[in-house]
Amino acid sequence: MAISLAALASAWLAVTPTAAKDSNAKFKTVEAKHFERAEGVELTPEFSDYLYAELRTQLQKTRMFAQVIGEGEVVEDADAPASVVVTGTLTEYKKGNAVESKIIGYGTGRRSLKLHVTVARRSDQKILGNLEVHVKAAPNLNEKLLAVEAAKQIANKVKDSLEHEAS
Amino acid sequence: MGFQFLALRTLPARSSLRNAGIFPAFPVLAFLVFLAVGSSWASDPKPTPDNTIHIALATAVTPQKFPRPVKFFIGDVIDRAGNAQPMLITSARGGIFVDRLPADIVREALESSLKAADMLSPDAASADLILNVYLFHFGLAPSLGDFFGKIELAVVVKDPKSGKSQQISASGTSISHLAKLKRNEMKDLEADFDGALGDAIRNFLRGQALHDAVASAAASPAPA
Repeated sequence: MAISLAALASAWLAVTPTAAKDSNAKFKTVEAKHFERAEGVELTPEFSDYLYAELRTQLQKTRMFAQVIGEGEVVEDADAPASVVVTGTLTEYKKGNAVESKIIGYGTGRRSLKLHVTVARRSDQKILGNLEVHVKAAPNLNEKLLAVEAAKQIANKVKDSLEHEAS
Repeated sequence: MGFQFLALRTLPARSSLRNAGIFPAFPVLAFLVFLAVGSSWASDPKPTPDNTIHIALATAVTPQKFPRPVKFFIGDVIDRAGNAQPMLITSARGGIFVDRLPADIVREALESSLKAADMLSPDAASADLILNVYLFHFGLAPSLGDFFGKIELAVVVKDPKSGKSQQISASGTSISHLAKLKRNEMKDLEADFDGALGDAIRNFLRGQALHDAVASAAASPAPA
């Protein structure tokens, strides 16, 4: 019993520094803005709101940023060099074809959403990443779930590009 | 052939009052309609301590720093959301309510944050800027599979000395997942709205728009 408790304690001590290290974010703040829409992108107005809210949630989950701030918030001058701004445009949306998807299958007739995302440093507006995101989903999938999937992919790509930039 | 007397026509059986069993059905029908209407009224959710949540800022939002000390006064907080039941968050599961009017919740959040930073003026006369808040959305936005809490407000920042005013928009959102039990759902909703409220207040108090409004108020000369 004493041995197992000691083993548990040592395991906890071994894990604790890792958890603390994960909480050390590389950037002070990230600001996600509402994405713009290219002409012909027919999505509901709520989609932009939901994508914005979900993107903030997903950016927080990356643990790259100490704080995810709202659109248009000020950042202390000292924090600006270690802060980034994420902007983007919904460039193309195809709503898919349910019949085609059912009959043919193999990914045909799926919904498709393309986004262009830019990650820039706040202090000097230097572009840290120009990302292309392509989300595909079943044609009967709700718009909100499409936004969740898009936000996840954007957050992952932002994380990858910033890790690459830092290294 | 004799004279034929007119024979009285016999009434058919269905029209005799003795056999008119249909008439008692009308009061029964009326009673059933009354019961149906009554039950629909009774199904309107009512606030009780068991279905009411308390929304407040967990921690006061720290406002941004301004070049010179500024004192704000919260003037009117007007609900422009147009909800017939402003305290009803959702009518599902017997209804979930907030314990105060949304306007009062927003006022308290703004005042507590400004007071914590020593930026709240006790009256309009001694304030540098007066904030009149218009609440355009306080509740759940349409969503599927989760709660999408959304608070939208417009704040008119008025300089009492020059009389100039500027409007600033701020919004806060928060997403939380649905729970199976109502008790957990209420906790999730409370956390969701706390988050959205904090986000909206932060968006306003730390926004570039407020910074610009304060700067322009400081730059504009008072009328002679």
